[in-house]
Amino acid sequence: MRMIKQSAAALAAISLGACSLDLQNPNSPTEAQVTTNVDGVIALATGLQSRFATSYGNFAYTAGLVTDEFASTSASLISISDAEQGAVPSGTGIADNVFNSAYRTVRTADDLLTGADALAAQIEPGTRSGLRALAYTLKAEALGEALQSYQKIPVQTLGVTAPTYVGRSQALPVVRALLDSAAATIAATAPSAFFNSSILTPGVNLSNLIQIFRARYARMAGDQATALAAANLVARSGTTALSLLTFPSPTVNPFAAVTGGTQGIAVRRQWRQSMLPQDQRFSYFVIPSTTLTGRIGALLDPFSRWASPQAPLPVYLPDEALLIKAEALASQNNLAGAQAALDSVRTDCTGGRGLDDPKACLPALTSQLTQADLLTEIYLQRRYELLGTGLRWEDVRRRNTIRGPTAAPTVPLDGQRCWLPYAVGDRNANPNASVAALPDPTEPSTFPSGCTVQ
Amino acid sequence: MNFLHVRRGAVALALAIIAPALLLAQGASGTVRGKVTDAANGRGLAEAQLIVAGTRVGAISGGNGEYLITGVPSGARSITVRRIGYSPTTLPITVTDGGAVTLDVTLRVSAVNLSEVIVTGSAAPTEKRKVGTSIASVDSTLISRAQAVTLDQALQGKVAGAQISQNSGGPGGGGMSVRLRGVNSFISGSDPLYIIDGVIMDNGSAQLTDLGGRSNPQNRLADLNPADIEHIEIIRGAAAAALYGSRANNGVVQIFTKRGTIGKPRFSFTSRYATNELREQQPFNLYPFNENGRPVARFNYQDDIFRKAPATEQNLTVEGGNEQTRYFLSANASAEDGILKSTSSKRQGARVNLQQTLNTHLIANVTANYVTTQNQFQAFGENNDYGIMGSLFFAPTSVDFRPVNGIYPLPPALGTNPLLAIDRIKNPQTIDRFIGSSKLTWTPVQDLILDYTIGVDNTSFEARQFLPRNAVLGTALNSTGRSQSVFQGNRIVNQDGIATYSWKPIGDFVLRTTGGFNYTSQKVRTTSAVANGLAPVGELVGAGSVFSASQTEVELRTLGFFGQQEIAIKDRLFLSGAVRYDASSTFAPSERWQAFPKISASYVVLTNRDGLVNNLRLRGALGWAGSQPGIVNAYSQFVTYGQLPFAGRPGFANDVTYGNPTLRNERAREWEVGTEAGLFSGKVSVDATYYNRLVSDLLFFRPLATSTGFSRQFFPIGSMSNKGVELMVKTTNVDAPNFKWLTTATYSTNKNNVEKLAILDFQSAGGYPNRIRAGQPAGVFYGSYAARNCVTGALLLDSLGRYRRSNQTVDMGATLDQRRAISQGTCNDSVNAVIGDPNPSWLGSLLNEFSIGKRLRFRMLLDGVFGNDVMNLSTRAQNAGVASNSYEYERELLPFGDARKLPPGFNARTQGIFQYWVEDGSFVKLRELSATYSIDAAPLRRIFKEGIDVTVSGRNLAVWTKYSGYDPEINLFGTNAGGVGSVQTTAADRGFDFGGYPIPRVWSVSARFTY
Repeated sequence: MRMIKQSAAALAAISLGACSLDLQNPNSPTEAQVTTNVDGVIALATGLQSRFATSYGNFAYTAGLVTDEFASTSASLISISDAEQGAVPSGTGIADNVFNSAYRTVRTADDLLTGADALAAQIEPGTRSGLRALAYTLKAEALGEALQSYQKIPVQTLGVTAPTYVGRSQALPVVRALLDSAAATIAATAPSAFFNSSILTPGVNLSNLIQIFRARYARMAGDQATALAAANLVARSGTTALSLLTFPSPTVNPFAAVTGGTQGIAVRRQWRQSMLPQDQRFSYFVIPSTTLTGRIGALLDPFSRWASPQAPLPVYLPDEALLIKAEALASQNNLAGAQAALDSVRTDCTGGRGLDDPKACLPALTSQLTQADLLTEIYLQRRYELLGTGLRWEDVRRRNTIRGPTAAPTVPLDGQRCWLPYAVGDRNANPNASVAALPDPTEPSTFPSGCTVQ
Repeated sequence: MNFLHVRRGAVALALAIIAPALLLAQGASGTVRGKVTDAANGRGLAEAQLIVAGTRVGAISGGNGEYLITGVPSGARSITVRRIGYSPTTLPITVTDGGAVTLDVTLRVSAVNLSEVIVTGSAAPTEKRKVGTSIASVDSTLISRAQAVTLDQALQGKVAGAQISQNSGGPGGGGMSVRLRGVNSFISGSDPLYIIDGVIMDNGSAQLTDLGGRSNPQNRLADLNPADIEHIEIIRGAAAAALYGSRANNGVVQIFTKRGTIGKPRFSFTSRYATNELREQQPFNLYPFNENGRPVARFNYQDDIFRKAPATEQNLTVEGGNEQTRYFLSANASAEDGILKSTSSKRQGARVNLQQTLNTHLIANVTANYVTTQNQFQAFGENNDYGIMGSLFFAPTSVDFRPVNGIYPLPPALGTNPLLAIDRIKNPQTIDRFIGSSKLTWTPVQDLILDYTIGVDNTSFEARQFLPRNAVLGTALNSTGRSQSVFQGNRIVNQDGIATYSWKPIGDFVLRTTGGFNYTSQKVRTTSAVANGLAPVGELVGAGSVFSASQTEVELRTLGFFGQQEIAIKDRLFLSGAVRYDASSTFAPSERWQAFPKISASYVVLTNRDGLVNNLRLRGALGWAGSQPGIVNAYSQFVTYGQLPFAGRPGFANDVTYGNPTLRNERAREWEVGTEAGLFSGKVSVDATYYNRLVSDLLFFRPLATSTGFSRQFFPIGSMSNKGVELMVKTTNVDAPNFKWLTTATYSTNKNNVEKLAILDFQSAGGYPNRIRAGQPAGVFYGSYAARNCVTGALLLDSLGRYRRSNQTVDMGATLDQRRAISQGTCNDSVNAVIGDPNPSWLGSLLNEFSIGKRLRFRMLLDGVFGNDVMNLSTRAQNAGVASNSYEYERELLPFGDARKLPPGFNARTQGIFQYWVEDGSFVKLRELSATYSIDAAPLRRIFKEGIDVTVSGRNLAVWTKYSGYDPEINLFGTNAGGVGSVQTTAADRGFDFGGYPIPRVWSVSARFTY
């Protein structure tokens, strides 16, 4: 028996030659192939920017749907049009996509940080600085978008299978610390020309990105001094003042990708119609329509420049920095300074600061406003200036103007939901996200009511 | 009609194995000649195997039963004669040196033949009585008489324990699935391992272009010419299949092609003409008024898209040979049009099988088969963009599809114009395939046999798709026209070596020791080019203006070693133990080498007795087998990164499917016990088996916390059992000289149960209401139901008389308290429920064969599936508001007061109640009905030695069922398993009728000439 087995084995060895069972996958590289060489790590930086574009797009359009910005254009997009009334059942794509895509961005950022550290000796310092700063920045913004969409979020997700969820009071400092790390990294070693020209998406300025995000989350944390300082560091003119994500064919921008290549969402017409008649900002975003109607009777204006699937998308709108500055100054009781910053948004007009951004072309305010009036006006200007950035949701939340779900034909005003239900994709596998451990927050049913921020 | 051609492949080996004490012919010898005939009708029996006891001398009878044995050692000898379907006999003779003895042999039909030699599942050819498991064998007669297009169709109703279903009715086979003893895996499909002449054969059903989402119009077994097949052996379970290791969980089907008979060249030509037709139209909404009561013209498009379709088949074979060389040559051409206009399938092929005795120690066998298949298909199933059936079901009957000025109008909401699809959409496929094997059998010393086989199955598959401009609704890219070309090369190479040594250590013990190895490598290379934005003229990719391309390459290697020890005690008790040690490149190196053991016992209680019980054998076996996740998931052990370009630069990001670095195979444990008995003087045979199988470490996606940036991972997620009974009874009801009546009945049950599930219940077919759920059979229908009053059981209706949907707050209230108030109890607490089971509770078939005189023969095969549910999503589609074309929908349009009137919105509401669409899918089909007449007149005999057989036959002529759709047998999902999310399918997905291609009724006439 043994002899026969041995001779069979010998025969097999002869006839099979060197048949190896250790095959490589020629279709996709392995983790080791990507994370242990410089080219792979640089490609991760591109992958990270792609994932960021997706997660940012998901956040921006979902936030627009559950506030008064967007509505679905088609009868067949049921879950989208349910969301525009405030109904987001647990487990739907609307509920899960923001979370899943944000944490994919986080994952790739973590991969990039790990790779940049592991290959520290092989990557030129300026390039490594840029890679690390980019990873910190986009991870921070992805987490920031998650904490604007879910009541609690996980912040430590690398190397664990069941991440724990924390409230905003714990998550926001993590986001801000990441952004501070990004700022410190490029301050210590300036990103190399190679990083800026060949790794960073053309049209994006990393320094401006870091500072606008620092300002955004400082404002959210009520740290007006830092918000002001950071807002002042965001360029307001020149070619670097507008950071654009570009989508050459066959890639498509997130607004076009919402429904797979068709124009699935459009802007509610009330957004344009509630502006002052002179306000020109609508023309940046929409083409006025008298006919476009959504599934449940919503009156709509179609997108103008973003309608093209290849249209570039600004990562932020530059006047956000002025509006944050105005708000910080107003909060610090520097009312004249606040009003000046606000007027520079209101009076931005053709030519302006040489930027292709929304232009109100409104007259300056005629008299000095009180602090409360200033804050109201800043809030109003944010609505018109920052359409489609997702920031509207946080604004209605902090102004306590969430109205709860509406039913057609009622037209949604302000916002319909405080939070999205937690992602079922995480719930199914993460005991810390089970319904028992992490119940979905209760949504308000009366107006006015605030949201519970933990 | 030529009688049975039987297991010639095994005979050479059997000659050596069965004769325990070998003596080479030497010295004084003589010859024995004679004729082997059937005791009942005196007809010559070909392929009877004659062996001079105690020697290697023997022969096989020719076409008319005549045989000649030369070199028979002189003296008193005995000759043993065996033939499948007959009781073996041993006769004494005395041979003188140089003398010639005549010995005519008559054999008696025996329903039980324990001496039958089988090859599958055992390391070397073995007599059936020595094997502890149940092995089904089907011979060429049963296959050729089925008048089926493909082999798997021919097997329908012939094998107990096998659920063989035709998933669609298209030409060229129609996407068959074979399920032996239930569902055994989710991810690796349900199909058994196919081996043809020692070559592992691909039976993939991938369509390369989208011909209906997850539907399969054809599986690649369709490339085989059924007329080339001599016999098939089927082992159904793990206990029998352990020697096939990590691929045998679903059973093994081994196909043997014809080897040629000894004698002068024998030509046989068969010509068949058939016609296919739609068995029955579905009633459509032809009510001449619309929703508003206005008159409207309605059209029944079934008249325009279905046709009576012809099919032809020509088959020529030549066989012959001598003691040294035997050959079988065949050429085959068939052409079949589908009942759906513009669909067709053609096949041409040729085969050369050669066996050469090189010297007394060495025999070579070579087989070579080339086949080319050309298909012209149309999308069906879940394709609602350009699929014809989807368009038929989704288009209102009020749309006039006839072209105006040469332009075909498109339907209002879904689908395409079916007339346009027939006229202009093209989906041609070309498959070129070579299957060949070479086998060397070496007997270096007495009692030691070494076999070495190398086999190749090489398929080159080109699929194209052409959608003209404006053939698809909407603004999507495909409405600008689409041309796709996909090339796929699929090459499987296997090498097998087996060594067998027989020895007799002491007394009544006979031992046989076997060892061997198997190495298989499969490589699939696919390149696809797609163009949109087509020019007005031109159908190829070059006509496009927007392009995309893709390429993949997958390789899978499996290496295994096995050893087997058999012990025969007093030629009555047979014990066997074996183990296969197997490794696949799919699995992680740490988990790769797995042992699959088996043990079995067989005890022959009675053999060839007279009287009530003639033969009786008891058997039992226990074994393990595995399954792999299939070639599409061959790299699942790797943690990989996917391409994610951005802003025109190449980028990477982690695949959200996380590789499993400890991936290992699924593992089935099975035991079975059974018996075979011959009763009433060989008139009745019973073959009964009980089996019990548990598959553990079932692989599927387990969800990963998406906060980690991943979403799923292949992982062992649970276990599933299949238990059942298989019963086959053959009876010879009448065996008179001029009238013979044989009956074969099969009955089998299978109870599937998902035993354990480590993850939450999951939808097995993405987007469809079925579930894998612990404690339930795999693939149960799970979804919304019509709520009932918990006290009275009566349906809850709303004020308009419509059902209340269990999953709608509009119908049931928003809170649990409101639900309970409406329900008067807690019976409607759950939003969804198990609402049906597509797994049959039993399968049965009944074959009756009659011979009247020597010229006329009838056969009738009834084939039934019982206790299975089918979800009729085709009629659901018809009832949808956008379609509104069903006969049921018509009821909503009727004036109030009409007895058939349904409340307005009734159909809209039933759309949301999946329970409403679950129907009893039990059916009995008149699978085969045929009459054969042998024209055997004397003048004719001068040309055609065996006369001309003329057969008139029908296939799927009638169906008895309560099911309301076209056919309860069709299934949206074919045999594919894989995919993620909305395109996921598993082997458990059965019982969905959605836009299926109806199975035609086939009438055919064939004539067979032999000379």
